[in-house]
Amino acid sequence: MEIVVQILFMLISALIIIAALMVVSVKNIIHAALWLFTSFFAVGALYLLLEAEFVAVIQVLVYVGAVSILVLFAIMLTRHVTGEGQNQLYSRWWLGLILALTLFGAIIVPTVFKQKWNIPAPTVVTEPQNAEPVVAGVADIGKAFMREYLLPFEVASLVLLVALIGAIVVVFEERTERRVILTLAESWALRQKESAKVDQ
Amino acid sequence: MEALINYLLNTALNLHAPEWVILLIRHLLVATILFLVVPFQMLLLTYFERRVIARMQDRVGPNRVGWEGVLQPIADAVKMFTKEDIVPAAADKGVHLLATGVVVVPTMFMLSVLPWGPGMTPVDFETSLLFFFAISSVSAIGLVMGGWSGNNKFSLLGAMRAVAQMISYEMPAILSILALVLMTGSMSISKIVEAQGGLIANLTDLPKVPDLGLGWLLFTPVGFLAFVCFFISALAEGERTPFDIPEADSEIVAGYMTEYSGMKFGMFYLAQYVLNFALCAITATLFFGGWQGPGVSQLSAMGANNQLFSILAGALGVVYLLLKTYFFFFTMVWIRGAFPRLRIDQLMGLGWKFLLPLTLVNIFSAAIWAACIHWGPEQGLAFLSAFGPWKRWAIAFLSTLVINLLAATLLVRINSSAESSMPKLVEDQKFGAVTLP
Repeated sequence: MEIVVQILFMLISALIIIAALMVVSVKNIIHAALWLFTSFFAVGALYLLLEAEFVAVIQVLVYVGAVSILVLFAIMLTRHVTGEGQNQLYSRWWLGLILALTLFGAIIVPTVFKQKWNIPAPTVVTEPQNAEPVVAGVADIGKAFMREYLLPFEVASLVLLVALIGAIVVVFEERTERRVILTLAESWALRQKESAKVDQ
Repeated sequence: MEALINYLLNTALNLHAPEWVILLIRHLLVATILFLVVPFQMLLLTYFERRVIARMQDRVGPNRVGWEGVLQPIADAVKMFTKEDIVPAAADKGVHLLATGVVVVPTMFMLSVLPWGPGMTPVDFETSLLFFFAISSVSAIGLVMGGWSGNNKFSLLGAMRAVAQMISYEMPAILSILALVLMTGSMSISKIVEAQGGLIANLTDLPKVPDLGLGWLLFTPVGFLAFVCFFISALAEGERTPFDIPEADSEIVAGYMTEYSGMKFGMFYLAQYVLNFALCAITATLFFGGWQGPGVSQLSAMGANNQLFSILAGALGVVYLLLKTYFFFFTMVWIRGAFPRLRIDQLMGLGWKFLLPLTLVNIFSAAIWAACIHWGPEQGLAFLSAFGPWKRWAIAFLSTLVINLLAATLLVRINSSAESSMPKLVEDQKFGAVTLP
């Protein structure tokens, strides 16, 4: 069983990495978006491999089902969607490369090598047969939200509420300025009324 | 089932197969059965819909191929397979091909968490209800891919409409399901079904009720309102008339399917029917007891002594579920025969101004229901445990009934008065359009 899980882990993480690389390297922006959703989905699979079903399902529901659709909408509603002819690289790309390498060399490499990692060796817990596996279920997450992490939870919901009201304010049209396109029948009825007025 | 495979591999053939091989074979077998069920259901449903709608429109419908035309879907399938597959020259060919798969596969996944009979859930886990809706929203990506890749304005418009509709009706669907989760205290579809034994009142609410498998959630005020909201949203998600705006053939050819032909079109068609079947099945499962029905629980209780009885119980459960599912599919066809298509603003108005507030009120009354039935001194409601279970059930029923009735009448009045008090239209000279004064 362990080997199967490891092979699955390798496959899924390879998919995530390849998809993430494709997001930044393909020229067509719609293809980039589709690769992004592939990577989201594979992350969901990774959660499932960790037996965190709820998080996996929420990942699919929120990222694949909602965020990706919004991304696609945003891309399609803007002009020049594909970006086929554009150059992927900026003319001074070497500057960015040097900067990234220096930062990596100056910060991350010393940290990785100087830090004394006190990681305990993984202990294999032999659970008794028929024991309920200890996995954070929906009920546990709900209780944690309502007890230990009540303040962050409430703050997050307040932020969402503000965003909601902001969105309404941005798109709200005054009633007087609202435009209605008439159907054929309605405009015909309007014509009839006006011609009746003229006749009088 | 695992025991059977284990016996076959390790005892009969002496192969020493490890645990995961047995699990893998079990899941592969179940998946094969599901994959076989799906196309046959689709063939049956297309024939059923065509005959029923023909009957409603005073026509005959397909009756030439085979007895009363029962072989018509097979002839159609042969036609689909042999048709030329045309891909537009300006299309994005990879995405064009992939879109069919992205649309079909999630609908197949939806069937994998349905409890087909007592103990007959292919994959059963704690959050299967949420999984059902999460995976169904994935096919929206496929619709956009199909609509965009064809390089056709009609298909792009159709995809936009389809996705806008799916997003706005997913909210009331999931919120009305949330009320059921509050009532039953579980997000597993099989547990929600198991909680619906009994007669009118279910067994978890009133333990002494005779178990006839009729304690459906529909018989509670909360469940009834959730059912009405959910079924309307299911019609919209399955793109059935009166919500078939995305593929309105009199306006935008066939929506996102415009640039598909041959078997690729057939895949979209398949996905649509499987989605409709899954939505009908989940409606039957959540609100109408799924496999619950008179005799199933008695038979499975007898199955403890004799294996034959538990097989019988399973078969009876599947029959009950399929009967309920076909009833809902018939209702969908019935609605298609009876109602014209909604306009897009009416669609959005119904979803956001009527269904969404109604489901929010319904969640409130579901919380009251759960509190009345299950809460006690631990939650600070000691006076409730002084009443007997019948009294608690009656209090819950009456209070939620009053709240839901009030909310529904209020919302109907608000929505109808908003329509009648709309200002009169005045024509705009410049644009030929009309502004509201």
